[in-house]
Amino acid sequence: MTLATTSFDWVRQLVHKESAIVLQPGKEYLVEARLLPIARSMGLPDVGKLVDAVRGRPDPDSTRRIVEALTTNETSWFRDGDPFTALTSTVLPALVAARGPNEPLKIWSAACSSGQEPYTIAMLLEDALPNAATRVSITATDLSREMVERTRAGRFSQLEVNRGLPAPMLVRHFTRAGNEWEVAPALKRMVTASECNLAAPALPRMGPFDVVYLRNVLIYFDLSTKQAILRRVREVMRPDGWLFLGAAETTLGVDDSWERVVIGRSSAYRPLKGA
Amino acid sequence: MRRIVSQILEGLGYEVRDAGHGREALDVLEEGWVPDLATIDWNMPVMDGLQFVSAVRSNPAWRSMTMMMVTSESEHTQIVRALAAGAHEYVIKPFTADAIRDKLALLGLLPEEALL
Amino acid sequence: MTTFDTGERRRAGDSRPVISELIDEPTVQAIAEDAWIALVGEDEILVPLPGELPADPVSSWVDVVGPWTGSVVLSTGSQTAAELTRALLGDYAPELLEHEDVADAFGEIANVVGGNVKAALPGPSALSLPEVGNPPALRNPADVVRIDVLWRGQPVSISVQGALPPLPVAHS
Repeated sequence: MTLATTSFDWVRQLVHKESAIVLQPGKEYLVEARLLPIARSMGLPDVGKLVDAVRGRPDPDSTRRIVEALTTNETSWFRDGDPFTALTSTVLPALVAARGPNEPLKIWSAACSSGQEPYTIAMLLEDALPNAATRVSITATDLSREMVERTRAGRFSQLEVNRGLPAPMLVRHFTRAGNEWEVAPALKRMVTASECNLAAPALPRMGPFDVVYLRNVLIYFDLSTKQAILRRVREVMRPDGWLFLGAAETTLGVDDSWERVVIGRSSAYRPLKGA
Repeated sequence: MRRIVSQILEGLGYEVRDAGHGREALDVLEEGWVPDLATIDWNMPVMDGLQFVSAVRSNPAWRSMTMMMVTSESEHTQIVRALAAGAHEYVIKPFTADAIRDKLALLGLLPEEALL
Repeated sequence: MTTFDTGERRRAGDSRPVISELIDEPTVQAIAEDAWIALVGEDEILVPLPGELPADPVSSWVDVVGPWTGSVVLSTGSQTAAELTRALLGDYAPELLEHEDVADAFGEIANVVGGNVKAALPGPSALSLPEVGNPPALRNPADVVRIDVLWRGQPVSISVQGALPPLPVAHS
């Protein structure tokens, strides 16, 4: 059953608003194929009914799942570059100086999706720290069980490894597995993936984290939920920790208990003392 | 399929010339037209991509040129060989236009217009 | 995993694998799908259903030489090959397609599919330049992995086939 034009238009607008990605007319088939599993998982017979349900009662989880399903091929490594190069240029030296030589370093990738973000972090640290394997732990969480399982598996298609992953890092940290690429066991050991709903009233016991990546997920929530999430994130961070948001995101106007630090062309946010 | 890659690069703001194999490409360089970027397939008649990369590397006059393999050759050992021979980046076919864009962004080689 | 009773007995140290021991249909399908997404279009679907190839199919292939040696052969009708070419070239497709355009495009698909099949096999292996025309004959029916799909309702087959004839059967 083909998707009604009004439903398709609603999806197009949603995707463009949340991700800036433009779905061209003629992509109805793509929308059908990618959203049908979501509809089914919600007990709905087709994508049209899914659209009706989410339009009638918008909720951040469904919205995010829809946008992610339609932009999944767009997920890249080192997304936006600077928030990751900042790790090795600025954040890691600061942490190494501030912590004891064997003190564990804990990092949280709070919307890990299919795993590119946590493994980008793992690769950078593996290359920068001689004892990364024992010292670093990366907690990767996502709302979606499917994404958590993908992150655990650490396997990526040819199309996926082409997206923003420098070739020298590909050969250093991946091996071939059939027609896919799999991250090295050393990297997998650094990453622990689990389900987590950021908007839940309380977070599971975790941290305290030295660095948190909370990228492109706050956009799905209203102001009060954003504030609640940022508050909870702060509670599981070290007082001298670092928070990275998405390229177009900021704590400005949301939560004034953070100090913004410019690093290259991006920013990090650090808990304000006494705030 | 030079046309496809040329099209992508032109879309990103590049001025593009193409060659059918490594020997033809060396001829262009020897004429004095040394580009900022070369995208290079592996399997070509007369002179293949790996030979071309080695030839470029051995000439100091062409050091400024970034070399990016774009090829269906995707065995781990081959990527290692290409990088060791002097290629800076490696795009595995099949690739999308965004993949090329991402790699160029990483290399700092996106013409300014593309950043808008 | 399917097995074929060809009468061959595998001897210790016999290092001639058949392709079905090295790759399976779902992997070839996934490789083809990725190739189609990138080359033909993001929402292209390859339906794994057999269809009858027309009487005069067009084939393109690449040869793989390594621990396993053979060819990766794509076959489809000439109309389909032309349609694939137009889809690949997009805005650059000329009004009138020359044979060279089709050979170039259809050969490139074989290059991309073949290169990825090769990378899923134990290596190192060499990949030939693509060819278009009369494909290599099927030398050993026991050394083939083949998928038949429908693209926009039109049949396309991808055959990963060994170059070596079967070993002679020992008779007592």
